[in-house]
Amino acid sequence: MAASGGEPDFEWEPPSEAEMKVIQARRERQDKISKLMGDYLLKGYKMLGDCCDVCGTILLQDRQQKKYCVSCQELDSDIDKDNPALNAQAALSQVRERQLAAQSPAPSQTPELNGGPSNGQPSVSVPQPRPEHCEGAAAGGRALLPPPAVPPPPAEAVLTKLRWATTQLQGAASLEASIQLCSLITSCANSLRSLKELSQ
Amino acid sequence: MCSFFCPFMSHGSVVGVLEAVILRSFGPEGGQVLFTRDTGQAMLSRSGTHILRALHLEHPLARMVVECVWKHSTVTGDGSKTFILLLASLLRKIHTTASREPHVSHSYNSLEAAEAATARHLADKLLAFALKELDDLIAMEVAPHGRCVSWEDFTAEMHSPANHYVQKLLASFFHMRLGYVHCAFISELTCELLNHWKCIDNLPYFALQFLKDNFPAIHTPVSGFPITSSRLIEGQVIHRDFATPYPQTDHQPIKAVVFTGYLQPRLLNTGDVLEVGCGGTEERSIVDFSAWTERSLQCLIANLQSLGVSVLLSVVKQSAAVLALATQAEMCFVDCVSEDELSLFAQLSGATPISDCWRIEPEHIAELTFCRPILLGPHRYENMPFFSLTCKATHLHAKNYLGTIHTSHLQTLVADVFIIRVKVKPYSLIICGSGEGQTDQYACAFQDAIRMLFTTWEPIPATGTTAAKRTVQSDKRTSSYTHVLTDSSTCTSSNLNPLHKCVLQPGCIMPAGGTFEFLLHHALLKLSHSCSASNDTNIGVPVSRLLASALLSVPKQIYSHSPGQFLQTRTRHNAIFTQDMGLESVSCKYELLLAVLQCVTSLLRVDTILRTHTALHTQSLADTSWESTEDEAEN
Repeated sequence: MAASGGEPDFEWEPPSEAEMKVIQARRERQDKISKLMGDYLLKGYKMLGDCCDVCGTILLQDRQQKKYCVSCQELDSDIDKDNPALNAQAALSQVRERQLAAQSPAPSQTPELNGGPSNGQPSVSVPQPRPEHCEGAAAGGRALLPPPAVPPPPAEAVLTKLRWATTQLQGAASLEASIQLCSLITSCANSLRSLKELSQ
Repeated sequence: MCSFFCPFMSHGSVVGVLEAVILRSFGPEGGQVLFTRDTGQAMLSRSGTHILRALHLEHPLARMVVECVWKHSTVTGDGSKTFILLLASLLRKIHTTASREPHVSHSYNSLEAAEAATARHLADKLLAFALKELDDLIAMEVAPHGRCVSWEDFTAEMHSPANHYVQKLLASFFHMRLGYVHCAFISELTCELLNHWKCIDNLPYFALQFLKDNFPAIHTPVSGFPITSSRLIEGQVIHRDFATPYPQTDHQPIKAVVFTGYLQPRLLNTGDVLEVGCGGTEERSIVDFSAWTERSLQCLIANLQSLGVSVLLSVVKQSAAVLALATQAEMCFVDCVSEDELSLFAQLSGATPISDCWRIEPEHIAELTFCRPILLGPHRYENMPFFSLTCKATHLHAKNYLGTIHTSHLQTLVADVFIIRVKVKPYSLIICGSGEGQTDQYACAFQDAIRMLFTTWEPIPATGTTAAKRTVQSDKRTSSYTHVLTDSSTCTSSNLNPLHKCVLQPGCIMPAGGTFEFLLHHALLKLSHSCSASNDTNIGVPVSRLLASALLSVPKQIYSHSPGQFLQTRTRHNAIFTQDMGLESVSCKYELLLAVLQCVTSLLRVDTILRTHTALHTQSLADTSWESTEDEAEN
């Protein structure tokens, strides 16, 4: 359905890769919310005609007349800044970082797409099970990590990344970049901790 | 105060939530929902309409969708969960298409507004496409893979192939609705009922229409027994007890009349003014008036006795004097009979109810073969609160029971032109269930089955546009016509006249389990390819593809437990009539698609939801405006 007749008032471009990621993640989040709300409706909650002020999700009301927002109170609330579904800036910086990671020789760790500082274990072991998040630069040219019981190499890789992030942080100009780098440092630290626990 | 919200995301999310609710009950392996009340009543149900209507929904869009589902279900009796699935899938596809290619010919404030306008446009196009071309497509590409079962063949013998197909159709319906344990028994019972009520020398689906319209009067729910105790009884069951002691029956035809009004004038109505003693020389009192009414009543009863009437039915509750006189005259009296039952009685017997009890004509008198009470279960019946108290001591509840009518004629009005009289022997259906809720479920399932059958055999008339199109393109399609003719040999020969042909043959059924969706999906893709190839119109191209991809959501859900089987069925759709998945009706599917597309169009036309502080009633509009101005003043 192309534009027909007359000059378009705004230029429309097909969504970029980052935006597609945002759309995909947003859809998944929406599906999760729908499922949760469906379960609550079957439990006897009432679906109100109001929307939450914070996130715009439809509100539920329980038998005690208390209002309840599924996305604010149940889904992870600390992903607002890091989650590329909610922050296009975060998605763009993620894409940028992956490009950077492809250039660096050492195997790099990409930050969690969904979680910020969640469990470091999955980020250490093979990211292959979730190719849709780690395609492109992150998957290219990387050897499979050895089993978690052993390794100096993963710890070494994480430490390298940590050091790189710290140096980057010193020179970071924008607020957004700094926040991203801090979260990367946090996840690297968590990964290191998990690795240490495993090796013990 | 009004609130503006982004409607587009809201549609998707609201319908997505409803989809999540019904998803676990969908399909042959779907589960049941247990409803509990604070009173402790519990009910299990798999019916989509029941589930959706039991939810507490205040969101206007959600209520609108549930309303659409319910209205569709009252027409076709089936497909409420499929409705929600298709609706959600269509909205998603429309959203995706609109966000990918928003319509940029007009200027919009934001991308969202452009997307919303595109979505609306797409929905309108979809509906237009469906109304114009879908029935042709189904008749040409999908229906030939099914089989047309004619109603006449069904009514011939018990073991004819047509009977077998109808029973299988009913069995798969009841399997989806009530579970596999009793579906065979219930479908046999329904076939038996249909066989008894079939009317010869009449329009084929008339029996179904009659059953559909009079079902509340034809069935009797009885709780406390297993479903396998359900059976058919000869005659009509009136759900009331005798008000007078029941006398012995003779063997002659029993005469009955129906009264709609009060036999004895009532003295103490509110607002009545009784003038006593005016216009006469003597003093009159109210006692004289009562005596006069009783005397006139005696004359009335004597008149009825002379006519040989022994059964009196009444809509309203009559006074004690009437009952006493009736007892004295050894007449059966039944009062407070419901309007449905009386109208059925009137139709079956051919007797019109009497409004003026002083003018009793022969046309008011019905002739019955027998009239006797029947005990149906120990359960107290809700619609008779007065008599349940008297029967509580014995734990029995007797219901009046009217027999077959030898000389009964069923009057019908066909096409508003002429009246057909057909002989019929009425049978009533006793539906048993373990609890009240379950019995109600079974009764609803029976009623929905009859609605589904009616939709299947109801001819869908060709619209003017399709008929015209067919004459233009008849040369292209003669090959498919001959294919239709040779394949479905049980079809009537009305195919030969294309202008008067019904597009979809009535009685077309096909294997369930997603076959219809797969076939239509392929047909739509073929259509879109041919349209884009011939550059005919670019209207049908994106919408047919959109519809095709949305249709696949249904079989995907059916085979969600086994994706391998999904692929297998998708490729092997030519292997028809596998015995395991059951049968479904093509007309019902077509109606479902149209209903879903209309719902989509209505949903996407919603731009804003205005929230008002007070409920808008027509009477209190003045008050509302005053209150709202007060609110505004406060703001």
